[in-house]
Amino acid sequence: MASLLADAFAVEIGAKEPWPDNVSLYQPFEVGQILLPDFAACLGVKTYLSMCGLNYELVFKKNAEHMSPSGKVPFMHIGPFLISEFDPIVAFVNTKGFHLSSHLEETERGEMRAYMSLVDNVLLNAELYLSWCQEDVVTEVSRPRYGSVYPWPLNKVLSWKKYYEERRRLKAMGWAQKTLEEVCEEVKTCCQALSEKLDKNLYFFGDNPSELDALVYGHLYTLLTTVLPVSRFAEIIQEFDNLSQFVSRIDSKYHSKDLQH
Amino acid sequence: MESVQAKQPPTTTPEQQPQKLKPVHRMLLGFTGQEDRKIFNQIPAHVNKVHVDGLEHTKHDIVIKQVKDVLEAQSIGEICVRAHTAQSKLRKLDIFKDIQFFIDTSKGKQSGTNDYEVIFEVEERRLGGGIHGEVGTNDGAVRTAFKFLNLFGRAENVNMEYSYGTKMTSGSLMFSKPLFENPDILFRTGGYQHHGEYPWSGYRTIDRGLLADIQFPSRLGSHTLSCEGVWRELGCMNRTTAFAVREQAGHSLKYALKHIFARDHRDNNILPNKGTLFTCTQELAGVDDKVLGFVKHNMEFQAFKQLPLSTVFQLSLGGGIMKPLQSGTEVSIQDHFFLGGPLTLRGFNINAVGPSSDGNALGANAYWLGGLHLYTPLPFRIGKGGFDDHFRTHMFVNAGSLGNVNFDSNMKEDLQRLAETYRLSYGLGIVVRIGGLARLELNYCVPAQVRQGDSSNVGLQFGIGVTFS
Repeated sequence: MASLLADAFAVEIGAKEPWPDNVSLYQPFEVGQILLPDFAACLGVKTYLSMCGLNYELVFKKNAEHMSPSGKVPFMHIGPFLISEFDPIVAFVNTKGFHLSSHLEETERGEMRAYMSLVDNVLLNAELYLSWCQEDVVTEVSRPRYGSVYPWPLNKVLSWKKYYEERRRLKAMGWAQKTLEEVCEEVKTCCQALSEKLDKNLYFFGDNPSELDALVYGHLYTLLTTVLPVSRFAEIIQEFDNLSQFVSRIDSKYHSKDLQH
Repeated sequence: MESVQAKQPPTTTPEQQPQKLKPVHRMLLGFTGQEDRKIFNQIPAHVNKVHVDGLEHTKHDIVIKQVKDVLEAQSIGEICVRAHTAQSKLRKLDIFKDIQFFIDTSKGKQSGTNDYEVIFEVEERRLGGGIHGEVGTNDGAVRTAFKFLNLFGRAENVNMEYSYGTKMTSGSLMFSKPLFENPDILFRTGGYQHHGEYPWSGYRTIDRGLLADIQFPSRLGSHTLSCEGVWRELGCMNRTTAFAVREQAGHSLKYALKHIFARDHRDNNILPNKGTLFTCTQELAGVDDKVLGFVKHNMEFQAFKQLPLSTVFQLSLGGGIMKPLQSGTEVSIQDHFFLGGPLTLRGFNINAVGPSSDGNALGANAYWLGGLHLYTPLPFRIGKGGFDDHFRTHMFVNAGSLGNVNFDSNMKEDLQRLAETYRLSYGLGIVVRIGGLARLELNYCVPAQVRQGDSSNVGLQFGIGVTFS
């Protein structure tokens, strides 16, 4: 608890300084190592920073996951601070004076938080389920990719270790016991809610992007473009036209160069 | 009960007519004074038979090898010496609870008046272990060991250990066996898991490894050849760990071939009065996918000389250097040299000398360390009898340096800089020998030369440990 307070205090003090030039964002290697959920998380953060117009340097490290203070990627190194994961990074950027959702009212902001929480609970867990509970994906994609950066025998040992850890976590959340059909249903429901909210607008909240747009883009782009032995989620998302258009719109605006995956 | 016997053909009657003593019956021999020893060495004797009682599980060949030298004895004194040596060799096998020997006159038709028998009585044990305290540098641990002994009859031992300490927790399972039936040549193999904390650098590690080594003596000293494979996992201790250390977090694999040479001729390993110590370590290691990663050398030398008025003078020298074999090999902070401590470079905090970042020591790939000490007995008596022997006062001067040497570009300048940026400290204090296990020092230190980034400790410094310089 004391360290949480210290962190918050430190961030408040850091807020006085402007955005420095040497900000780095750390993530695993995109070509051979990164997995589905991590790619979605990193893309969400990168899109958010681009939407805010903030500069950063992207650093690829095979041990990014272990370097991160919370054990999750991406994490940002800004001055003396280390901030990892989407929500804390957004909060930190806000303290620096950059807001994407300042034009929203309280109720809308509450709604945005609710949708972000929906995305985290459904889409993120669905990605984890796909990566670690579908046997085809596990043996052909997840385990080989996770261990690819380590020498033998670590590649085998660590990929199995990660497999057991993720499965245990999903089991605790109740997701490991679901069938693929049930997970697809949940994804469909989530996409339905997002599609209804987006409707015919450019972004979820009017004509300007918000955190929710960055987060949703990260997950949807990942699910649509990643080639996996099981591609059910991509098909589900494609049923919702406005979501596919949303993804390509943001892609062309904020990510004009192609991202390798 | 089984017994092993080794017989020699009966002797011819000896030519000399030496001083005749009464026949020696069951006599447990210990050493007496110089005069007695001279007498004992003059009495000719001949060993007819060596008899070992109490062997059930142990194979005979290994026992015979340890005791057969006793047959060569030519005098009573020599019988004692050789039997004593055989006893310590048997003890080194670690498979007997108790070893005693008796010298008796030889009974039998062909025995002459100078023929003797030596009888060893041993008690085998199959299980062993215990709880011991261990001391590291300013940290301690409790070690619990459990051993299965003499598995196949030739002193094959399996040793399971678990240590729990202030800065580390470790467990290991080792199989050991003397080679060529020689207890001095020991082969060991096994696995271990070691959790360590390194607060001076802000990280903790979990090392899981497999190792195999052979230890053997030579004319000059003892050698150990080992090969080892370790899975290392490095994690930061807290959020304030320096980024330079945080960058090395994660998993890595290291495999190493090591050669250690040690020659310890000091009369005591905690408070020596005379003698020298020389150890030298070479390591060839590969990291991750680089089979030839780096070469590491480390040397240590100590010399003690007794001076008049019960003072002892000590000179210590040490140095090490590490060279990456392929350009671009990143050497992990776990393999770096560190310098500083209450028993080595006094006046500086543990491992806090040299390159650092945000208060965490990073270590470097080269160092040198020197020390001059003068030990005197305490100026006053504090206890009775030999209690004061465990205390000394000492005055010391320590100097050393730690730095990175870049082998690619300006190596000569780096080495010169390493010599020029020396750290220096002097002081005096009290040294205590604790139970033959550890050395305790309480010194008043004056760090005379401190460089940027070092963390020094002016004034009283307390240290406890086993290795010192």
